[in-house]
Amino acid sequence: MDLAIKDVQRHVGKFIATIIGVGLLMSIVLIMNGIYQGNTSDGVWLIDNTATDLWVVENGRGGPFNEQSRIAEESWRSVAAISGVAKASPFISYTVQRRVAMREQQFAIIGYDVFGGLGGPGRIVAGRPIAQAHYEAVADMKLGLRLGDTLHLGVHDYTVVGLTRKAVDAGGNPLLYLSLHDAQEVLYDQDNRARERSRSAETERLIRSGYSSAETQRLLPLLSDGSGTVNAVLVKLRPGASIPRVAADIERWLYLSVYTSRQERNLMLEGRLRKMAAILGLFRALLVIVSLVIIALLIYVLTVEKIKAIATLKLIGASNGIIVRLILEQSIVLTVSSFLFAWVVVQLTYDHFPRTLVLLPHETLASFVVFFIGGMASSLVGIVHALRTPPSLALGG
Amino acid sequence: MHCARPLHSHSEADMSIVQVEGLRKVFGQGELAVEALREVSFSVEPGELMALLGPSGSGKSTLLLCISLIQEPSSGRITMNGRKIYDNGWTGIDVRRFRRENIGFIFQAHNLIPFLNARDNIAIAMEINGVHWKAARKRALELLDYLDLSNRSSALPAILSGGEQQRVAIGRALANSPSIIFADEPTASLDTVRGTKVMELLKRIAREQQTAVITVTHDIRMIEGFDTIYHIVDGRLVVDDAVAESTTA
Ligand SMILES: Nc1ncnc2c1ncn2[C@@H]1O[C@H](COP(=O)(O)OP(=O)(O)OP(=O)(O)O)[C@@H](O)[C@H]1O
Ligand SMILES: [Mg+2]
Repeated sequence: MDLAIKDVQRHVGKFIATIIGVGLLMSIVLIMNGIYQGNTSDGVWLIDNTATDLWVVENGRGGPFNEQSRIAEESWRSVAAISGVAKASPFISYTVQRRVAMREQQFAIIGYDVFGGLGGPGRIVAGRPIAQAHYEAVADMKLGLRLGDTLHLGVHDYTVVGLTRKAVDAGGNPLLYLSLHDAQEVLYDQDNRARERSRSAETERLIRSGYSSAETQRLLPLLSDGSGTVNAVLVKLRPGASIPRVAADIERWLYLSVYTSRQERNLMLEGRLRKMAAILGLFRALLVIVSLVIIALLIYVLTVEKIKAIATLKLIGASNGIIVRLILEQSIVLTVSSFLFAWVVVQLTYDHFPRTLVLLPHETLASFVVFFIGGMASSLVGIVHALRTPPSLALGG
Repeated sequence: MHCARPLHSHSEADMSIVQVEGLRKVFGQGELAVEALREVSFSVEPGELMALLGPSGSGKSTLLLCISLIQEPSSGRITMNGRKIYDNGWTGIDVRRFRRENIGFIFQAHNLIPFLNARDNIAIAMEINGVHWKAARKRALELLDYLDLSNRSSALPAILSGGEQQRVAIGRALANSPSIIFADEPTASLDTVRGTKVMELLKRIAREQQTAVITVTHDIRMIEGFDTIYHIVDGRLVVDDAVAESTTA
């Protein structure tokens, strides 16, 4: 007969409530693991999922993600002319907050050369890539848009022709791919009225400075704040070309900074992502410690509650093995089922989480091992307590 | 007041199931030392009914705890079933095992295991002693029947009355057919009718199964028909008539 089960049966409700409580605590730890890993994996997702050999950015800048970078759109032509470069394309990326799919959302707009250029959406799960020079978009599913939906950005409407899944920028915001010029337009022309206002202000200024109205019309486009800039130029090398050579050439001749994807990744990991990772790591460690303390206390209390019954068992001659089994079984059942509960909770909520959770199996396993060892350690304390209890304790009162 | 002599002479010693010689128990040390038992000697035969009477604090429980191997005496000798168990120190036998195989207890605070029902409380004592669980449950039911409790077999101790709990505790004490039963005020929490019933039961067990029964009681009415009656005064055993003498003196 199993004493542990009999004891649990007597207060099933309490035991289940304990499992739910501990399980929720453990699920927070698992979610924290997921946020921690998600922070890094989101942080470098775009770098990892952009098929390019080199990132060419503004000189001295760790761009385009870890730092701002602005270069002339036309510099892609100069990059393409460097020997060893198979293809060079302009690339633009920025975060906006707009009303999309009936709600205010933050997302990142990626502009790229839609006619065979680099930097486009890697894997489209529904629909097709952008095929027109204007007014088509590929959206991430997290934006809540469907194929054929239109969205209004700046002064135009864009039609969703393709969908991606889990395409995010470094902040975990979903991506919206547009053609390079559409993206530039959205970035620099917020809306018609603002554009009109700035245009008339500029016109007034020019006329006040003594230009004729014909001259003003000619000068206006030159003053509009550089829709001819991009954030980076992506480079694909010819087979056999030496990466350091090409990089050095670009840096020397074009006075730009060049990073390989790996370097670009490290810029992020050691830059923007590091502080967040430190904070999340600290929280994670604290959470694990708090959960361990709570689990240890619960298991210890579970033993202490039974100390008189344990003394009685000793009184009727039960061996230490029986008592150890009673305590161990309960703490194993408690930790294992709490963890299972936590795991199920995380599986059910994981997709609805506002941030990307990355649950690495080995981390989940490690968390389980930590909780299990913690549970065993506290039941060991309980066992020592129980074995030291004199049987005569059962007689008092 | 004179100390009780062992009931049996040495030639008869092999007949006795419990033999206690010069048992002493001191609690604490130095000025605070309490001599709970002073040179207690007696022996009990199979099937013998022995009662221990005495005022509060006289050492009754201490004696019972020592001879049931729950508390370690300070000095003396205990022999049970022909085996030396304590000889100015444990002799090295597995005390818990000896206890579950040979001794049954009934304590004043029934000490049932709260999460086991009446039947399982009895069966667990047998399972601990190596009886297969199914067989143990079967025998537990027979014992409950014997104790007039078969209708309460699946009740948890918390919902049993004091008398019912006491009877379950008796059932557990009988479970492994021990050769000795110790009972510390088994009737204290019961009314006279139920108390008498419990005592009748103990007498019946002693007669039918040749089990030695040593019981502590406050209630002189409960010990009618007992073979031996001892009084304990200040940790010393005194035979019944000696008490009468000392009180009239
Ligand atoms: N664990 C202990 N530590 C110290 N002193 C103790 C301990 N147990 C008993 N005593 C002392 O030993 C003496 C005998 O106690 P015991 O419990 O045997 O009395 P008793 O005859 O059973 O009394 P009662 O009728 O009240 O149950 C008392 O003076 C008591 O205070
Ligand atoms: Mg007592």
